[in-house]
Amino acid sequence: MTEFFQSWGLPYEWAWGIATVAGILLIALPLMLAVAMVIYAERRMWAAFALRRGPNVVGPFGLLQSFADGLKVMLQETIIPSAANKGIFLIAPIITFTVALMAWAVIPFNSGAVLADINVGLLYVLAISSLGVYGVVMAGWASNSKYPFFSAMRAAAQMISYEVSIGFILICVVLWAGTFNMNEIVKAQQGALFGVLNGFAFIPLLFPMWVLFLISSMAETARTPFDLTEAESELVAGYQTEYSSMAFALYWLGEYANVLLMCTLNAVLFWGGWLPPVDWAPLYLVPGVVWLLLKTFVFFFIFAWVKATVPRFRYDQLMRLGWKIFLPLSLIFVVLVSGWLMFTRYGVAA
Amino acid sequence: MEFQASLALVAPELVLSLSGLALLLAAAWGGDKASRLISILAVAALVGAGFLAAPALCNGASGPDTLAFGGQVKVDAFAAFAKLLIYLAAAASLIVAPAFFERVKAMRAEYPVLVLFAAMGMGIMVSAADLVTLYIGLELNSLAAYVLAAFLRTDERSAEAGLKYFVLGALASGFLLYGMSLTYGFAGTTSFAGIHAALAGDMSKGALFGLVFVLSGLAFKISAAPFHMWTPDVYEGAPTPVTTFFASAPKVAAMALTMRVVVDAFGAQVQAWQQIVMIVALVSIVVGALGAIGQDNIKRLMAYSSINNVGFILIGLAAATQQGASAMLVYLAIYVAMTIGGFVAILMLKDANGEPVEQIAQIAGLSSHRKVLAVCLAMIMFSLAGIPPLFGFWGKFLVFQAAVQAGMVPLAAIGIAASVIGAFYYLKVVKVMYFDEPANVAVGKSDWAHQALLAICAIFISPLGYLLTGWLGGMADKAAAALYFVG
Amino acid sequence: MIQTLAFYIFASLVIASAVMVIMSRNPVHSVLWLIVAFFNAAGLMVLVGAEFIAMLLVIVYVGAVAVLFLFVVMMLDIDFAELRAGFVKNFPLGLAIALVLLAEMVMGLGAYKAGGMQLGTPDGTAAAAVGASNIKAIGALLYSKYLFLFESAGIILLVAMIGAIVLTHRQRGDTRGQVISRQVARRPEEATVNTQPEVGKGVQL
Repeated sequence: MTEFFQSWGLPYEWAWGIATVAGILLIALPLMLAVAMVIYAERRMWAAFALRRGPNVVGPFGLLQSFADGLKVMLQETIIPSAANKGIFLIAPIITFTVALMAWAVIPFNSGAVLADINVGLLYVLAISSLGVYGVVMAGWASNSKYPFFSAMRAAAQMISYEVSIGFILICVVLWAGTFNMNEIVKAQQGALFGVLNGFAFIPLLFPMWVLFLISSMAETARTPFDLTEAESELVAGYQTEYSSMAFALYWLGEYANVLLMCTLNAVLFWGGWLPPVDWAPLYLVPGVVWLLLKTFVFFFIFAWVKATVPRFRYDQLMRLGWKIFLPLSLIFVVLVSGWLMFTRYGVAA
Repeated sequence: MEFQASLALVAPELVLSLSGLALLLAAAWGGDKASRLISILAVAALVGAGFLAAPALCNGASGPDTLAFGGQVKVDAFAAFAKLLIYLAAAASLIVAPAFFERVKAMRAEYPVLVLFAAMGMGIMVSAADLVTLYIGLELNSLAAYVLAAFLRTDERSAEAGLKYFVLGALASGFLLYGMSLTYGFAGTTSFAGIHAALAGDMSKGALFGLVFVLSGLAFKISAAPFHMWTPDVYEGAPTPVTTFFASAPKVAAMALTMRVVVDAFGAQVQAWQQIVMIVALVSIVVGALGAIGQDNIKRLMAYSSINNVGFILIGLAAATQQGASAMLVYLAIYVAMTIGGFVAILMLKDANGEPVEQIAQIAGLSSHRKVLAVCLAMIMFSLAGIPPLFGFWGKFLVFQAAVQAGMVPLAAIGIAASVIGAFYYLKVVKVMYFDEPANVAVGKSDWAHQALLAICAIFISPLGYLLTGWLGGMADKAAAALYFVG
Repeated sequence: MIQTLAFYIFASLVIASAVMVIMSRNPVHSVLWLIVAFFNAAGLMVLVGAEFIAMLLVIVYVGAVAVLFLFVVMMLDIDFAELRAGFVKNFPLGLAIALVLLAEMVMGLGAYKAGGMQLGTPDGTAAAAVGASNIKAIGALLYSKYLFLFESAGIILLVAMIGAIVLTHRQRGDTRGQVISRQVARRPEEATVNTQPEVGKGVQL
């Protein structure tokens, strides 16, 4: 994109700056729109699971429901509890929201269509997602209130626990792809199984890792059945208890942006990203971004499905699952995958 | 091929780490019930590692063939000598542990595993030929040691000892790292040989600072004055088997490491470190001798005794000759035997309920009811004091001889004078045991393993030990020759 | 131009937030400023082309270490008056250490400026293969030249882990753990009984 702006006669720095800002807007604005739409979609899905109607009043089929909700929160008053630590209280939702957007910089939407095509793309995603916990912890502490604080502690422990196994799962992917660059990871998935199917999850050794990743990504985004940070029956609304108005909306937007990110990561890392599922030339006529969006939406459906049907875990069960099952399992698979690759790809003597 | 040769050279470390991992799994599944079996297996692993390390010493290995992993590790006769001592001391502390911990129901299967990893760390320390290797080995040993010090976690003194050791140890590591970074900055390399080459000629102020910091960090680890403050508290608070370990193996490792650093890395700047070592040696001797006088806890007394002995060992280093190094190694071997014997004897001091007895006043008149134990303890005390017929004298003699031959007559004279002062408190213990009114406190029975160990140590330090002087001296000479090998 | 600008932004932010770490009265604020400092330090790393180190800095320090820090600090009940009293008492010592550090820094810089010192001269063995990325170069070094040290460092971490468990883990006899396999293997027949109690008799459990 930089070249395009340079062709207008701008110096390199200016062209680069404009191109970057344009790229950010090109990702962020559709993303916000998508968040609004998936919130609507999810509510419709839950309603369908529960044999209800769901939002169907605002606009055709209730499509504008999310916008109405957005307008509502924007017009509300921002209430700051008198005992709260004001600065941190206000910064916390901004951090959550910003962090939720930042990770999108390295997601490839099509061959080469990445805002920042960096070598350490996957590590960047890990780094950014590990920042997400701060928004929650700061909110919990700054609210100076009992339930938000409990929730913050839970969130911190939960996110750290599951990041460990996510790290190991991603190591398996990286080992197979031989790179941390997201675009290259997608390309490495072309014809992953017998040169026919595109996607690491088709490989028997990596399929279990995908299952772990899917479950861990639900835990990482604190979605049901792992939504202990905002378990209504125990913690009122968790760290969001004291929030209202736009601050609250930022949490909502951030949460859904994160969920979408995790769905996209599932698609990009295990199901071939912008590649069609089968390595068959006519399928490549469909633009890559369509495939990516399709896959993402499938995962979003799975997320909604799980949320509508699976009951919440108890906290000790959550920790047990993370530390005693996922961590050893993913470690074993790191050994298996690297051993297998050493055996088949690189040769034992190497 | 080079990789396989390197692996063969570090075989003792491989044995220790792999058996440590295997025993950790056994500990995870077997639980604390299996801890005796795991201790036995750990001793077996140490013996196995010792057998793998021994050939290098017997062959007097030195030179480029002993370098592994591109010169980061140097497995020469010197390293092998220190390793054998370390493994022996570690094995001894494993043998005495179960009886002690089982009484307070605190024997846990992790104890032998931690000792194994500590021994591995010390093995890496003594074979370091690179600042990074040095630090990795040191930290591996230290981390295990911090945990071991606090092993009796329900005991307040043990927890305090662990915490003190940890905080001060971290500070010392900081010193060491700071010195290492300065050295690296001025030498442009972390390998000892490279530093030796880079600093040849005039030494800059910055590199001197680095040397001072490195030596300070190491002085902490060998508990030489003025970095000795932690020693009495840690020795007193840590469980006695752990103290046995602390007083013997890490001392050998850190001392050998110090020798390695000053000879290999700073060998071209003898002038720069000789004075430092001299001062540290004298201060340690004096502090150890004077500090011990007021002590009424025998473990604290042993702590000051170890500070004092470290001072004497450092005199050999101050001589800065191959003969001095050889004398140090002989002294270290004798010192390890004396220390293990001393602490085993302390472990055997128990009252009727099996509670450990640590107050010197409580062992009054020990000779009347525990004759053999009293004789052994008295021998160890005399030997630590360096009184002639016992083997402890031989070590001191060699060290002073080396100092005199290096032209340091005043240093040797002050050392001898101080050792006379030091004899006072050792004799005080003997006097309490033999001439005071019997307190009849330490009457408990002891384990056969303790008795056997004490007997071995006592025979070694008895005049019979002089039969070994030729053999021990020969081995130490080979090791010292490897340390000073140039080429 | 952009690089220079970015450098000055990152560098001044690192220093400013480092100052804030020690100036903040509230320890939680200190930790948060520390995180900002880490983050900007990572930015500096990116600028010098060490993107792998930068990411590790964020993942390890910001993502894990600082979170635990924050965790502990938030739960501590810190007496500020006592802290400040300690500050005054320890001030001379702190000043002495600061002076030593300053002297060292001046000496190091002086030596560096004077030339003649080969600061970390590459001897060629550590040079990355041409065109290899940062990660590949680091990986190749760690797993070949520094293999032994790398694995030993792993053992250090293992020892630290064993230590933490040995010192803190206690088996409590009074709690009942969950045995998932038993829970799953349980059948309705074992758990439920159909009875038809007579009126007024009740059920025998």
